[in-house]
Amino acid sequence: MTQVDMSVAVTGMGMVTPAGADEETFWAGLCAGRSTARRQDELAGLPVDFACAVEGLDLDEAVGGRSVWRMARFVKLALIAARQAVADAGLSPAEWDGGRVGVVLGVGVGGVSVLIDGARKLDARGPDAVSPLLVPMMIPNAAAGEVAIALGARGPSMAPATACASGAGAIALGRDLLATGQCDVVVAGGAEAVLTPLVVTAFARMGALSRRTADPAGASRPFAADRDGFVIGEGAAVVVLERTADVRARGGRSRALLAGTGSTTDAYHPTAPGPNGTVAQAAVAAAVHQAGWRPDEVGHVNAHGTSTPLNDAMEAGLISRLFPHRPPVTAPKGVVGHTLAAAGAIEAVATVLTLERGVIPPIANLDALPFDYDLDCVTKEPRVQQVETAVSHSFGFGGHNVALAFRRA
Amino acid sequence: MNTLHPKIAEVLTQTFKVPAEDIRPDSTMDSLEMDSLAVAEFAVIIKEHLGVDADADKLYKDATLAEISAFIGGAAMSGRR
Repeated sequence: MTQVDMSVAVTGMGMVTPAGADEETFWAGLCAGRSTARRQDELAGLPVDFACAVEGLDLDEAVGGRSVWRMARFVKLALIAARQAVADAGLSPAEWDGGRVGVVLGVGVGGVSVLIDGARKLDARGPDAVSPLLVPMMIPNAAAGEVAIALGARGPSMAPATACASGAGAIALGRDLLATGQCDVVVAGGAEAVLTPLVVTAFARMGALSRRTADPAGASRPFAADRDGFVIGEGAAVVVLERTADVRARGGRSRALLAGTGSTTDAYHPTAPGPNGTVAQAAVAAAVHQAGWRPDEVGHVNAHGTSTPLNDAMEAGLISRLFPHRPPVTAPKGVVGHTLAAAGAIEAVATVLTLERGVIPPIANLDALPFDYDLDCVTKEPRVQQVETAVSHSFGFGGHNVALAFRRA
Repeated sequence: MNTLHPKIAEVLTQTFKVPAEDIRPDSTMDSLEMDSLAVAEFAVIIKEHLGVDADADKLYKDATLAEISAFIGGAAMSGRR
């Protein structure tokens, strides 16, 4: 093994979520434990007509400048979050060596509304009506590309497309880029914005979404016995990662350490989790092992917790087997819904905030833990408890499993 | 020519965020920092709203807004191209 400095810190965070587009509002929303799901005009009349949307923020104004016309919504979300994260890290693209800065932004689907719009124009009015920008706007790597342009980041850039594990996978890749010396700074996270009638209906048709149309705010209920599917959301979150030695050298601030990561693939089924979650568990165990911890040293679990019957049963089993010491569990999707590729990044940010603030947000809509697993789920109120270590899980269609292990700075 | 076709200013300011004060008859797409992709998209929008077909590279890329306005006005009046 080559000797590399594996110690990596989170030095900046940015987020644009249904619960808030700045750290304080986002955190207050998580701690309030109330779902942000509501009916969406664009989804009226469809089998599932509600979602968790980013509202109350003029994205074009927040992005600013002259280039918004060429950006799909997921790119704007990513760019706003990335700028927040870099500013939070106390870094300036005007001053850094852009050749040493990497960008890794996970996106699951990309600019599907751009594609749909173009398909309709082609059918209705012919080739001349198709935007020459259709392809560069819709490709999932547009977020990484535009963020790199905005930040002058000329190191490696990537766009992992591992569905709902994309955001966490991007952060794991970011750590590798630092640990192998390919970058000095990595801007990593995930973004997704597909609250379109076609995509929401497609998820509904496959049975993945909650059908609780009479009570949208009660629909996302991770780990509840009567959960019936996830609530789709949109958003972005981005972290800035640096080697701790570099952070110290520049007098920067470590918000948490990204102590380990683990990734596995079920190799089992396109959408269903693998039997018993043993392969997903191996990803979590790998992250804990890389962090140098015993499983019983894990102080908190930020669960994937989608509110689907299959995921939550699999994940509850995984947690109770690997962590029988019952660390407190939360699941942010109760509040922000399932933001797909952004989810792992949003949950990474939430996990860092828990380590910093000594507070674990409650799981929305979970009154009691009724099924057969012995989990310590945080319910109803935020729990004041200083934890030193935490893991965050992400599992995606395709069988992708990623776990991130964070330590308090 | 002092008055530009109103659609030109509308598209440039609203879609491409060109500052209104920069939109003058002698401005060119280049002087407005409209790159080739932006000019191509401009042509699609003009076609969509006014029915005017144009090869963006030939007719819009290096022309002044006055020339573009005259072309669009003439083409729209003569019932397209």
